[in-house]
Amino acid sequence: MGSYLEIKYLEELQQQYASVEFDSEQPEPHIYVGTEDLLALMKELQENPIWAFDRMANITSVDYKEYIEMVYMLYSRRFDKWVTVKCKLDREKPVVESMTQVWPGTEFEEREIFDLMGVEFLHHPDLRRILMPEDYTAYPLRKDFVPLQPKIEGGVLKWLQPKSLS
Amino acid sequence: MATTEKFVLNMGPQHPSTHGVLQVQVELDGENIVGAKPVMGYLHRGIEKLMESRTYQQCVPFTDRLDYVSSMNNNLGFCMAVEKLAGIEVPERAQYIRTICCELNRIASHHVFIGSLTNDLGSATGMIYAFRDREKILDLFNIICGARMTCHYIRIGGVIADAQDEFLQKTEEFINYVPEMLDEYDRLFTGNEIFQKRMQGTSIISKEDALRFGMSGPNIRASGWDYDIRKIDKYGIYGKLDFDIPVGKTGDNWDRYIIRLQEIVESAKIIRQCLDNMPEGPFMAKVPKMLKPPKGDAYHRVENTRGELGFYIVSDGTNKPYRVHIRRPSFINLQALDHMCKGMVLADAVTAFATIDPLMGEVDC
Repeated sequence: MGSYLEIKYLEELQQQYASVEFDSEQPEPHIYVGTEDLLALMKELQENPIWAFDRMANITSVDYKEYIEMVYMLYSRRFDKWVTVKCKLDREKPVVESMTQVWPGTEFEEREIFDLMGVEFLHHPDLRRILMPEDYTAYPLRKDFVPLQPKIEGGVLKWLQPKSLS
Repeated sequence: MATTEKFVLNMGPQHPSTHGVLQVQVELDGENIVGAKPVMGYLHRGIEKLMESRTYQQCVPFTDRLDYVSSMNNNLGFCMAVEKLAGIEVPERAQYIRTICCELNRIASHHVFIGSLTNDLGSATGMIYAFRDREKILDLFNIICGARMTCHYIRIGGVIADAQDEFLQKTEEFINYVPEMLDEYDRLFTGNEIFQKRMQGTSIISKEDALRFGMSGPNIRASGWDYDIRKIDKYGIYGKLDFDIPVGKTGDNWDRYIIRLQEIVESAKIIRQCLDNMPEGPFMAKVPKMLKPPKGDAYHRVENTRGELGFYIVSDGTNKPYRVHIRRPSFINLQALDHMCKGMVLADAVTAFATIDPLMGEVDC
């Protein structure tokens, strides 16, 4: 099944990176890290052979209305270990370093998050919308999303802001 | 002195060899491919968003429509994630039935792979043979749940109906037929020289590249990693079963084809063990009609036919999921397409699409 990274290792990480936080009372505490330390922490976890987290198992984002949370789930094939790293972003202007610098295979997933949640990734090789139309302006997976109205004007499909019901 | 100019050719979204509505912008220099960019989104239905406004039980049919040729595996992934979140124990008989259905579905899905691959390589006869055998499995699903493709048979807490004796007996008949079936495929395709020449040594993905692109499933195993979630996580009853993981050497198109043939043998082995050791008992756990998992999040991954399928579910304590994220294997495997096509001729691009085996229902979600 694979087990979660032990608390003593999490404490070791906390000493290295100042912004690392976790709730040590939970059985499988998630690591919360500030955006400034995220890339360095991930590089350490992937490259250092004592961790060897060589697979980015899952990368996603959740809109919690006050903030947007990035969720990174790392898996180490060598030690059969899991760790979850989370990072809180400002909802008005969510910007985070791209993980393609560490795991190149996260390119499409980050494009999907950019498309559906509106998180901007720095140093991403090709940051464009991937599933929605390219001229779409809203972000569907946000909790306050209202679908845009399609309208054909002069043979061209346009996306208009919905009229308010009031 | 003749000069050539690079140009872009659009393959798809209405192209018969792109397996659905995948559009690939192929950049060509003469007949040689310089780059291949997949463009998707033509089948985007917003399943992740739709699930947020439905109860957990109502979410399960959506997972059928992800990878619509292996719906049982998708049901299993979602149901196991919810069971992990809500702490539901599944009865043993249900787990055996689940495993039989998932492995039958794996064989059916590989039939689609073989059929479409041979069709793309110019042998329309091959498609008929593979789909004839797939029909037998779909008929089995028809017996057990009344649906052929979008089964919705595996539910949260178990399965919706018990496996009848007719189903178990006909499954055994099918398993006995598997060696004969594979023998026929070997005579028809595997031994064919044109088939071999088209596939051997084309679109090689090295061991390092397969890991770099985050690939999974038969595609990463063809490159030489023995990475199979059934063996690593041992979810369900896979820990009790005896089966091997076929691993390739070079990671070319040929390996990706052979791996899938060998996986059919392994799946048949698993089904036979399940049929022999099938226990009696209930097939459904006691799950409340209004399922309200505790606050928190859970991630569960299963080995889908195309790779590592993961469901990340966030619960806010109500009867609807707050957020569902689906890690779709074919979506991530598609990242390797550009690398696979580079330096090949245009005719090999079709083989590369077929062996990477993307399914657009899953890619576009």
